[in-house]
Amino acid sequence: MALLIAGRIFGLIVLLVIMSATAFYIKRSEKGKIPKLRRVPGIDAIDEAIGRATEMGRPVMCAHGIGNLRDATTGPQTIAGLSVLSFVARRCVEVGVKLIVPVRQPEVWPIAADIVETAYKAAGKGDEFSSDDIRYLSSNQFGYASNYLGIMMRERPGANIMVGAYWAESLQLAEMGSIVGAMQITGTAQTSQLPFFLVASDYCLIGEEIFTAGAYLTQDAPLTASLAGQDIGRIIGVVLSILGTLLITGGSKLILDLFKW
Amino acid sequence: MSNALRRVEIPIAITILCMLIQVIPYYVDIQVLNDTANLLQQWFLLVVTMATFVGLISVAQVHIKPIQKQSTGWYFSLIIIVCMVVMAITGLPLQEVGLGTTNAIYDFLFRYVQTPLESTTFSLLAFFITSAAYRAFRARNVEASLVLISGVLMVCFNAPMFTAFWSPFKTIGTWINDVPNAATMRAVTMGAALGTLALAVRTLMGIERGYLRGGGGE
Repeated sequence: MALLIAGRIFGLIVLLVIMSATAFYIKRSEKGKIPKLRRVPGIDAIDEAIGRATEMGRPVMCAHGIGNLRDATTGPQTIAGLSVLSFVARRCVEVGVKLIVPVRQPEVWPIAADIVETAYKAAGKGDEFSSDDIRYLSSNQFGYASNYLGIMMRERPGANIMVGAYWAESLQLAEMGSIVGAMQITGTAQTSQLPFFLVASDYCLIGEEIFTAGAYLTQDAPLTASLAGQDIGRIIGVVLSILGTLLITGGSKLILDLFKW
Repeated sequence: MSNALRRVEIPIAITILCMLIQVIPYYVDIQVLNDTANLLQQWFLLVVTMATFVGLISVAQVHIKPIQKQSTGWYFSLIIIVCMVVMAITGLPLQEVGLGTTNAIYDFLFRYVQTPLESTTFSLLAFFITSAAYRAFRARNVEASLVLISGVLMVCFNAPMFTAFWSPFKTIGTWINDVPNAATMRAVTMGAALGTLALAVRTLMGIERGYLRGGGGE
């Protein structure tokens, strides 16, 4: 009996190549060779948004999406959103602005609360942390949305940062943020919701940009270096796409067979 | 002992171990690993179920204070608490005492309160789309003009009145959908997939710690 499952071997090889490349770049970063990151205006604007909210004397709202942690496609987006929350929390504590974190998934609530509490403790302001600001709204999609809209109407945040997985509520939240005059930074890898975020917010992180936010914001050398490993995956993807197009056009099914290996 | 348990290395080690248990059986057929992965998923369901109580506590924390202080809009908080308690109790899976999803009160609240409220919130989307479209469809520069033109053509493609009046709207709309739109969406999807993969690799290697106490610092 074959140990490796047929049809998944090629995927395993690609995964191992990307992992090796990531490990290689991380090792290289220890010698001081850190790849240069291009500017991402949406992430750069987070500081500006928090500063604006501070000047206006209004709170900052930062949500990490409505996805859970266990789904293969939305879980990573939630993790990316939590990385952004981590940075936003530290900045908010530094400048002394109130941070409100709306939560949909109960299993994510303790993680979000821990991130914000740690930011307060790290700044020596542990006693100022209030778990009431990390609000579990509802597991129901539109229960969450209506609650979020209500908070925005009552609190009138100066900045609304939403990075993570969103569905039909994305436009409602972003439009309400626009109505209350919040500076908005949004981001998602849900292709169906990107157009809504693009038209309704000031800055929008598109697709993979949300996954780089953690590395970009911390400027941590190994994290930054790991993004170069991601580029190797991109090169493999582009090469396979071009090869596949040419071979299929020429009548060969080599690439398809390779994927089925 | 308590300090040792608070070390950030422990959740990182658990994350890596759980990831490996889930990833390896996807590629390698070993019965023990398959069983362990299934068991782990059941454990996760238990964790999620327990976390529901955390959610209930958070709701209570946020809404009981306004009721006690009788601050502005306290009665809305009261409605939330009452509904939460009633739904939670009547929805308990105890069929023998008449509770559960078939309970009359639960059924009434679900059918005639929750469902209409959900539908109402969802239908608000139509108004938000209108206001967003008004802002987006302004020809301020070349890119915005392209969005405006494409948007108008897509409206014409989707409204039977226009395609009946001038059939090429159908061809143009199909082309916009199948060529520039599909190409852009595929590029974003591929980028997101690679980003997900890279995030998984970073998490597996223990260097992605943004989700842990603000980057793992303790």
